[in-house]
Amino acid sequence: MAAPFSLAHCEQPAGRYDECRSEEGHIRPHWATIESMLNRIGASGLNDRSLQIEQLIREHGLTFQFDVDQKPGQLGSVPVALEDQDWTGLSAGLAQRVRVLEAVLDDLLGPQTLIRERIIPREVLWGNPFFYRAFHQLQRTEESVSEESAGIGAVSRSKRLHVTAFDVVRGDSGRWWVTGDRTRAPSGLGHLLENRIVLSRALPHAHRSANVRRLAPFFKSLREHFRALTPRAMENPRVALLTPGAGSYREFEDSYLARYLGYTLVQGRDLAVRGERLNLKTLGGLLPIEVLWRHVSDQNCDPLELDPASLEGCTGLLQTIRDGHVSVVNSIGAAIAEMPALLPFLDASAKKLLGEELILPSVATYWCGDEQPCRFVLNNLDKLIIRSAHWVKEFEPMIPEQMTSQQRGELRRRIKAQPHRYVGQERLSHSLTPVWSDGQLQPWHFTLRSFQLQTADGVEVLPGGLARVSPAPELLGGSARSGLMTQDCWIVSDEPVDHEETLLTAESQTIRLRRGGAELPSRVADHLFWLGRYTERCESIARLLRTTLTRLAGEDELDELSEMPRLIHALAAMGQLEPDYAIEGLNGAMPRPDVMLPDSVFDCGTTRGLQSAAVGALRNASAVRDRIPLDAYRILRSLHHEVVVQGRPRGGDVISAIERLNRCVTLLLAFSGLAAESLTRTHGWRFVLLGRRIERAHQTAELLLATMAEPMRDESSLCEAILDATDSLMTYRSRYLSITQPAPTIDLLVTDESNPRSLRFQMQDIEQVLLELPTSAKQVGLGEDERIAADLTRRLLVADIANLCHCEPDMKRVALAALLDSVCATMPKLANAIEARYLIHTSVSQSLTGEPDKHAPLAFSPMSLP
Amino acid sequence: MKSAEYQIVHETSYRYSEPVALCQNQLRMRPRNHSHLVCHSCEVAITPTPTSLHQHTDYFGNVVDSFSIESLHQSLQVRVASRVTVSIPSDENLSGAPDWRELIGVIRRGEQPADWLASEYTFASRRIELTDMFADYARKVMQPHASVVDAVQALTVQINNDFRYDTQATDVNTSTEEAFIQKAGVCQDFAHIQIACLRSLGLAVRYVSGYLRTYPPPGKPRLVGCDESHAWIGVYAGEKIGWVDFDPTNAVRAGTDHIPMCLGRDYDDISPMRGIVMGGGKPILKVSVDVLPLDSSPTA
Repeated sequence: MAAPFSLAHCEQPAGRYDECRSEEGHIRPHWATIESMLNRIGASGLNDRSLQIEQLIREHGLTFQFDVDQKPGQLGSVPVALEDQDWTGLSAGLAQRVRVLEAVLDDLLGPQTLIRERIIPREVLWGNPFFYRAFHQLQRTEESVSEESAGIGAVSRSKRLHVTAFDVVRGDSGRWWVTGDRTRAPSGLGHLLENRIVLSRALPHAHRSANVRRLAPFFKSLREHFRALTPRAMENPRVALLTPGAGSYREFEDSYLARYLGYTLVQGRDLAVRGERLNLKTLGGLLPIEVLWRHVSDQNCDPLELDPASLEGCTGLLQTIRDGHVSVVNSIGAAIAEMPALLPFLDASAKKLLGEELILPSVATYWCGDEQPCRFVLNNLDKLIIRSAHWVKEFEPMIPEQMTSQQRGELRRRIKAQPHRYVGQERLSHSLTPVWSDGQLQPWHFTLRSFQLQTADGVEVLPGGLARVSPAPELLGGSARSGLMTQDCWIVSDEPVDHEETLLTAESQTIRLRRGGAELPSRVADHLFWLGRYTERCESIARLLRTTLTRLAGEDELDELSEMPRLIHALAAMGQLEPDYAIEGLNGAMPRPDVMLPDSVFDCGTTRGLQSAAVGALRNASAVRDRIPLDAYRILRSLHHEVVVQGRPRGGDVISAIERLNRCVTLLLAFSGLAAESLTRTHGWRFVLLGRRIERAHQTAELLLATMAEPMRDESSLCEAILDATDSLMTYRSRYLSITQPAPTIDLLVTDESNPRSLRFQMQDIEQVLLELPTSAKQVGLGEDERIAADLTRRLLVADIANLCHCEPDMKRVALAALLDSVCATMPKLANAIEARYLIHTSVSQSLTGEPDKHAPLAFSPMSLP
Repeated sequence: MKSAEYQIVHETSYRYSEPVALCQNQLRMRPRNHSHLVCHSCEVAITPTPTSLHQHTDYFGNVVDSFSIESLHQSLQVRVASRVTVSIPSDENLSGAPDWRELIGVIRRGEQPADWLASEYTFASRRIELTDMFADYARKVMQPHASVVDAVQALTVQINNDFRYDTQATDVNTSTEEAFIQKAGVCQDFAHIQIACLRSLGLAVRYVSGYLRTYPPPGKPRLVGCDESHAWIGVYAGEKIGWVDFDPTNAVRAGTDHIPMCLGRDYDDISPMRGIVMGGGKPILKVSVDVLPLDSSPTA
């Protein structure tokens, strides 16, 4: 019998620290559970677990990651185990480092003793382009806070650092080194939480029997600490997580963390400073935010006092901080504590400020602003990593060894020109840990991002962290997402650990029942409104395209299809075909419809109506991904895939175009069904509905205007096509059998209040929904939006069908055209009025300088522009 | 010492073509006390009445008024009225100014606390890049063994000769480098260019915002409200003398006709008014500055 599958299958390179085995090759005791699991499940079991993990991660990614193009992170199936005692030693160093950086930051943004006494060179701070002077003394000191309100809250609020992270690696001797500090808004916390949750599902037994220290208590402390940060004593303060917004690498993590911790996820556009407080903008008005966990860069937090070009923060935020009306985590300016240029001076700073020696050493770092270290860096480029001295994110770390000699020369020139902006860092060797990759256990390089929480009671270190592994150590230099794979990190205790605590299940206190509604952020309402409009636009165009293509697929010859020019005209009016195609008499110069129409369906560009609407729908759905059902999101992704991603199928003829449109219409119907059946009747739902109704009225009016305003000799097949495209053919047949005539067609689509496709039905619904939206107590009578809607409804109500169908001698249905024209003109006005009333917070801002000819309007582009 | 007393009224008014729902502003319009200036009084009046109004002192010691107006309004008026006395050391006091090239070393070493603190103004800032282009230009003008006062005076005159005052040539987004290359700009650009030249050499230089007393043509009465806000530079001339101001726009060393208001590294640190409004359409701006001398008799 072959030896069971074991950690011993992993190659052990000499001279490197092996996390799982001693130098003699014995499995370290804290890896025993993992070893016995491998023995039990074998290589094939490990493969199964890997697939399962991949599946779970993908599902999470779908739930929390908005950007459809981002690849989900990879999570290894073998955790990294660290021994409890080893961890305790490391933790003490990590906790001390938080206190040291807090003290350094407090000094640099306050009295600057370290600069004055030349412990830290002045270029590091004064020559740092990322040191906005507005950071200085922004936060109130402990004394000034506690004058007003003593107690834990005051102590907590006087701190600048709350959540921090340090990257640590273990060198060949087994000693831990810090390679990077993250004091601004460290990323990775959400990922490590996800890793733990996923892995404990994939390896439930091993996880429990190994006595792995739990993460939940850390997150519980975090919540308690954030609660204590609230500037006003209150039961349930609103904590908001400020995320940079769609497309950021933060997206997944931030939504994951917000949901796990029960925080409101906000973007800059959701926030407003009013009445000296920071608020969340909602349909029902402004709701105060007490604690802001910001995950945007320091300089992007307030366009008034910091970078004026940024839209990620909130105007006036700094003033509310100065007033002490909001707590910001970590305090603005905290990025100063993570600059690599501090590392060479950290030891001396700790001695000066705290009278302590650093327990945990930092990786050897040479600041080029001093002559000697600079010479060392220039002479040893190949052994070092070059980083920005002032801001970790200024540029990616550079590895001169991998550069061409020309690049190296250029780098040398840059360093010599502005030496104080660069540091050289030693490239530490990493310890190795077994990773399951390509069907075998391989020793990969390992680095750990550890997290800490600073509270009034001291520093709490998260037991474990985000383990990043890679076959090449260079890949581990950067952000939390660098490296090829992440792994769960287990702190293995000698004693059983308490498994009771978790934030996933309900807390002990009972939640008060509530009916949501007015708390809908205005930005979310805006996205939902446009989601409704885009899905409806998609459906209208897809249906008309399908109707038109179906005609081409029939037995009739093209020139026998008298309705064809009108349908093409309508498709051009809807933006699906080039506007020239709508001009009758140009037929000779145009491609044949049986070429041009499939082309327009299979076109992957996004300028055409159908394609751009599908993109718009998905984009708006993505932006409010946490507010709509997962299934709705899936449907829109499929639609996007069908219309924009897939491209032209082989052949790509009329029939395959019809098939694609069939699938689109089915998906869109599924979406409408879901919207009708699975969304609670909150204001959010009302905005989806409003969007749909307005768009449908507009599209139907456009269609009728392009097709019915001027009568033709025989209109029966045209009427039939229109009824088909508006999904009203069944209703028509059940009433009038197979005789299709203009008058009943127009009645059914314009004035019939019982047909959900008619203009009147749309207006009826719009009026009803507007009535249900919140109204300001100050308002007397109808709002502008309601007035516009009522006016149009009245015109539809009094429209006489005989008059509408009446043909003037110049062969025009003048009354019909006038009515349809007014619908087309009213819909944008109505949409504007609704936006002005409910979404006004998103209006355009401009800056004032008090000097002539210097008004620079701030670029402000809401996603909703059609 | 020479000194002069002034009453300054600076009125800024915006009329908006569309209503403004919200405006959030910061003013750096209060003259601050320092070695050359005593501020006797300063009143800031804002119409409509702000919803919130706060005051704080910024990093550079300037007094900042932050305010917001949170109800619909069609116009905004800010009126700042101050009474100040400007005192300038007489020329003899400047005769002991150090050699400018030696001073660079003194600042770099920073042995005296004043030298050390001044050195913060040797670094690049948002609007001031330090390049050889600036340094080379300055070196051609500044005589090797001249005192810092004389050398900077020469540069002040040279900039005034080489650069054209032109309100159309630049706007608020023009970089100092661009203004330098096109050899034209307004007082801010002149000040930024001179700061860039001197800092590129290693001297400590700050940006000064303020007002300039204007003299009516002989025989004509003084026109009320026709003055302008102005900007110039302050150069560190060693711990004994401290900061000396120069005005490259007018090719002079600043005297009692120059009334400083705020100090910073460049315009971005101390722009007199900065704000964000929501709505407003097309605003029409009217600015009037009145510098009224109260007592200009020189004293011993």
